Amino acid sequence: MLLIHCPYCDETLPELEFAYAGEAHVDRPADPSALSDEEWRDFLFIRANPKGPHFERWRHVHGCARFFNAVRDTVSDRFLMTYKAGEPRPDISKLEEAQ
Amino acid sequence: MSQFRIPGKGRVDHAETVSFSFDGKRYEGLRGDTVASALLAHGVHLMGRSFKYHRPRGPVTADSAEPNALIGTSRGAGEKEGRFEPNTRATVQELRQGLVAESQNRLGSLSFDLGAVNDALHPLFPAGFYYKTFMWPRSFWDKLYEPVIRHAAGLGRAPSKVDPDSYASRYLHSDLLVVGAGPSGLMAALAAARAGVRVTLVDENPEMGGALLSDPGIEIEGRPAWDWLSGALAELNALGVRLMTRTTAIGYYHQNMIGLCEKLTDHLDEIPEGAPRERMWRVRATRVVLAQGALEKPLVFHGNDRPGVMLAGAAQSYLHRWGVRVGERAVIVTSHDSAWYAAFDLAEAGSKVVAIVDTRATPPEALVSEARARGIEVLAGHTVTGTKGRLRVASVTVNPVRGGTVGAARLLHCDCLLMSGGWTPSLHLFSHTKGSLQWDAESETFLPGRMTEECHIAGAGRGVWGYAEALADGAKAGADAATALGREAEAITPDVAHDRPGTGESHKELPTDRKSHRVRAFVDYQNDVTAKDLRLAVREGMRSIEHVKRYTTNGMATDQGKMSNMNGLMIAADAVGKPPPQVGLTTFRPPYTPTTFGAFAGYHRGATFEVTRATPIDGWAEENGAVYEPVSLWRRAWYFPIGGEDMEEAVARECRAMRASVGIFDASTLGKIEVMGPDAVEFMNRMYTNPWTKLAPGRCRYGVLLGEDGYIRDDGVIGRLSDDLFHVTTTTGGAARVLNMMEDYLQTEWPDLDVWLTSTTEQWATVALNGPRAREVLAPLVEGQDISAEAFPHMSVAECTVAGFKARLFRLSFTGELGFEINVPARHGRALWEALMEAGKPHGITPYGTETMHVLRAEKGFIIVGQDTDGTVTPQDAGLGWAIGKKKPDFVGKRGLARPDLVAEGRKQLVGLMTEDGAVKLEEGAQIVLDPEQPLPMKMVGHVTSSYHSATLGRSIAMALVEGGTERMGETVHVPMPDGVVRAKVTSTAFYDPDGDRLKL
Amino acid sequence: MTTQTHDFTVIEGGTAPVRVEDMAPVARFSLRLREAHRAAVGQALGFDLPQRVGDVARAKARAALCLGPDEWLIHAPEAEAEAIAAAGAGAYAEAPHSLVEISDREISYAITGPAARELLTIACPRDLDRLATGRAVRTVFDTAQVVLWRDGEDAFRLDVWRSFAPHVRALLDAGQAELSAGF
Ligand SMILES: [Zn+2]
Repeated sequence: MLLIHCPYCDETLPELEFAYAGEAHVDRPADPSALSDEEWRDFLFIRANPKGPHFERWRHVHGCARFFNAVRDTVSDRFLMTYKAGEPRPDISKLEEAQ
Repeated sequence: MSQFRIPGKGRVDHAETVSFSFDGKRYEGLRGDTVASALLAHGVHLMGRSFKYHRPRGPVTADSAEPNALIGTSRGAGEKEGRFEPNTRATVQELRQGLVAESQNRLGSLSFDLGAVNDALHPLFPAGFYYKTFMWPRSFWDKLYEPVIRHAAGLGRAPSKVDPDSYASRYLHSDLLVVGAGPSGLMAALAAARAGVRVTLVDENPEMGGALLSDPGIEIEGRPAWDWLSGALAELNALGVRLMTRTTAIGYYHQNMIGLCEKLTDHLDEIPEGAPRERMWRVRATRVVLAQGALEKPLVFHGNDRPGVMLAGAAQSYLHRWGVRVGERAVIVTSHDSAWYAAFDLAEAGSKVVAIVDTRATPPEALVSEARARGIEVLAGHTVTGTKGRLRVASVTVNPVRGGTVGAARLLHCDCLLMSGGWTPSLHLFSHTKGSLQWDAESETFLPGRMTEECHIAGAGRGVWGYAEALADGAKAGADAATALGREAEAITPDVAHDRPGTGESHKELPTDRKSHRVRAFVDYQNDVTAKDLRLAVREGMRSIEHVKRYTTNGMATDQGKMSNMNGLMIAADAVGKPPPQVGLTTFRPPYTPTTFGAFAGYHRGATFEVTRATPIDGWAEENGAVYEPVSLWRRAWYFPIGGEDMEEAVARECRAMRASVGIFDASTLGKIEVMGPDAVEFMNRMYTNPWTKLAPGRCRYGVLLGEDGYIRDDGVIGRLSDDLFHVTTTTGGAARVLNMMEDYLQTEWPDLDVWLTSTTEQWATVALNGPRAREVLAPLVEGQDISAEAFPHMSVAECTVAGFKARLFRLSFTGELGFEINVPARHGRALWEALMEAGKPHGITPYGTETMHVLRAEKGFIIVGQDTDGTVTPQDAGLGWAIGKKKPDFVGKRGLARPDLVAEGRKQLVGLMTEDGAVKLEEGAQIVLDPEQPLPMKMVGHVTSSYHSATLGRSIAMALVEGGTERMGETVHVPMPDGVVRAKVTSTAFYDPDGDRLKL
Repeated sequence: MTTQTHDFTVIEGGTAPVRVEDMAPVARFSLRLREAHRAAVGQALGFDLPQRVGDVARAKARAALCLGPDEWLIHAPEAEAEAIAAAGAGAYAEAPHSLVEISDREISYAITGPAARELLTIACPRDLDRLATGRAVRTVFDTAQVVLWRDGEDAFRLDVWRSFAPHVRALLDAGQAELSAGF
């Protein structure tokens, strides 16, 4: 069971209060109908699935109920950082340096 | 007093005897004994039979690493039989009054085991035996191999009764967790606690002290070891350290989460009322100190598994902790200094030490002189080439080794052979963290390397040997942990006198003069893996240690390789021809020691196995004989049988009664979401396929929710209560999922919308009233709303009072009849239900359950999301194309619906199926083919999703997803079943009242 | 507010280490709004709505717990339910928000006594030492979502969705039996 820092509660709390919610920074297009089939396919199905730092969404579903973003290393299963929904994607090289 | 017990010696209570039985024979032990120490006190070494060859075995350890002495334990016959447990380690199980122990894995008696024929046939059971033997012919599997293997498989017998004990669990948060209360662990805990850290100290033994319990001659800070220990424990207690004995750290998980299994009652004569047997602790520690110590390795030689052959350290423990000499005449064979001390202690206690056989040519001179002074013969530079004795070792053959050549044999008579192949750090918990191991060339062993957790390792667990060093190392780890926790800490180094430092060598199997096919030198005792098996595995092509392990089963027994992994590695590395670090160890996995299912399950058994949700009306259903079915976490009334009806009869009656007059149904489990805010209608337009702008307050509409992929996710009737307020209903199983999905869009995609969501699923109890008489039953109870057909038409919603309760009243129908759904605050649900039952009496009101609800909706062709859809069904596929607001610029799933594969020809579409013989009911899930004569494998064009007997129509009806289904109206399709092919006609799904005339009431 | 005392075994010394009691119903509301309208709606309801998750504002017998950045849980005496709903409705036009009555969605248990905190550890994964008296949080108890209030060193309350309550209660009873037996 991991510990996860909720950026809204500003507390590090047990994973049992959280739910995973897929890859982060996959924004719904403003006008989906304007997208080609290929673009729409990419939006729907194509994900990064990296080995290493992964930008992903979590929800503090049994806490403050907010969706937020996280960078988790898929090799070590460690959270490198979490940040509020809507904030820009952090610079990954700086994070790795901090590690 | 038993023959091998030394009066007054040890940490047992010599004043209190405890009686128990082993294989039906009664024995007396002492309070504080284990089953093993008590039996050894009576000179009993034979305690079990090995798994594969049924070889006689005795305890080889005095602790939890024991591979041999596995017994079945219980609290006696009858009602208590449910407390039978197989594979209990006799070396761990404490005596309690009346304990019933039995040996296992034998056919016949322990001393005469028919299964031992396997031992004589051992050349037939080489490594990889199962892989090689049972491959063919295929037909032998079911009739011969599998039954034989099943019969022979497994150690011990499974309990036959339900476990009557309860199991508990708790979470624990600690600044520092110290695992292991030996010298290092005690010092770590002391150093940290003195610095003000919140410390938890755990040990798997009944008392703390670790190796100090087996070495009372050591002096620490001028006090005998056991006095110092009492003082240390008293101080820890005074410092508020949580001290937990009989508590095993079974697993080390991410971010310093440690699983602890605490045994609470197995050692007690009687189980106190309300006491759980075991408790699983989930500990979250900011820092961890691992002070688990080291494991003594056996030596690998012919006959090293005979009862009476045991680890020298174990013999020393039996002597000092339990006052038991493990034999009268001992031979010591060792490659490490530590066994010499065991020999001295045993000699001191009155046993004859025949000889100390050291594999090293020149053991330390001080030890040799002390042995000589005690009159013990020293045989340095020797090997052991065999043991003899039927059920107990009677002699040992030793030979000098000079320049790699094994010299002439010499026979030494003995009744116990104490061995030591040196010590290996207990790396199990550290390995759970994926910490890397580091080969130490000097000590020829793996030590903990790079850490992945906030963890310190102290003492013998990282290769530190000798009490003075272990104590100092523990103190340093505790102080380091305290410093890391922001405290000022000091690592003091206690003075130690009479220390027993030491070094040694590691070995592969010992050199021998026996012909190789006559050598039975065991590496993994429990799984009967010999050195020869390991070499055979390498010869047959296994190069990776992981393959060698699985091919031979070395290290796969319940001791998790504690005895065998290092010896196995040394032999495999030699066979492969690579140094050990290049071959590497297999991965240690949790749990550290065998752990009961009960401890893992904790409270999750019986009534608290999982959450069972019940509605406010559930009590009425139970009192009125409802049969239940589980629907997601809910239990729902399935049908209400009367007078011995079976389900079919009850459902037929319920269906007929509702269509003829009026039926009542508990719909409280439906998900409900309050959507409120100025942008509520915009939000609804974006979420659901339907248009909502023109839905007037007071009206409701059936809504369809898609995923972005265009597939149906959920559905339900949605009422608009005011411009800014919608009452959304969802499916029972979809409630949480739909709310989560809506919140997701609101929080992350459309944060600009001024609208908020609140789950009201459990705020309201919901009663559905359906049937031509529904209005007559309901009307007298309603205040504040005219519910006539004119004032309250189909698909209306109103806030009013029903039966005196504030209510949200819907007029809608999931049955095709005149229908209402009445929502009242949950606490009034049952009172509303009873009021309606009373009011409905003159009309023969009939309660019905979920099965009838399913039949009624199927007669109308209404879908159940998740039954008639499976996550790959679009609204068009399901015949719900009309629910799509085609003029809306966007909604969730709109773009998805235009995907090429979703607009392609030949998609599976939902249709009705009518069997040619109306008495035949199709099976849900059955596959559909167009031509039943085609060769196998047939092309399957769809499957039955719903199928019922319809009492209303007097025949069976079904729904099915069929390729191009809507183009096949009137065609005949075929459903092959085990007892023949069923022919069915493709129809509309509206089986009953297709024009909806019955709603016009 | 306590209406029913649960049976418990009395340990030596005559005091139970922990009591679990059903609590009488209260009026409960879920309040959602944007920061811009926090002051206005709070004023209408009689609170300075707290901003930090876990903080509780109290006004006479009413309490408002900040559950999330835009979410508050309001507890009040039952008799005040209509007044609260009316106050919210009155403020709606100027300060749009969502105020939904959920009085019947949840029921509450009181857990009190020297072993109260220990009892909660049987199924609550939070470090309860870090929950200060007077604060409350939404968390989990076993697989049920709960709101856990700390009213004192040895006094807690659990709000549980109605259908999950029997499960939570059964676990609390099992844990209480252990603690009463001295385990
Ligand atoms: Zn949060």
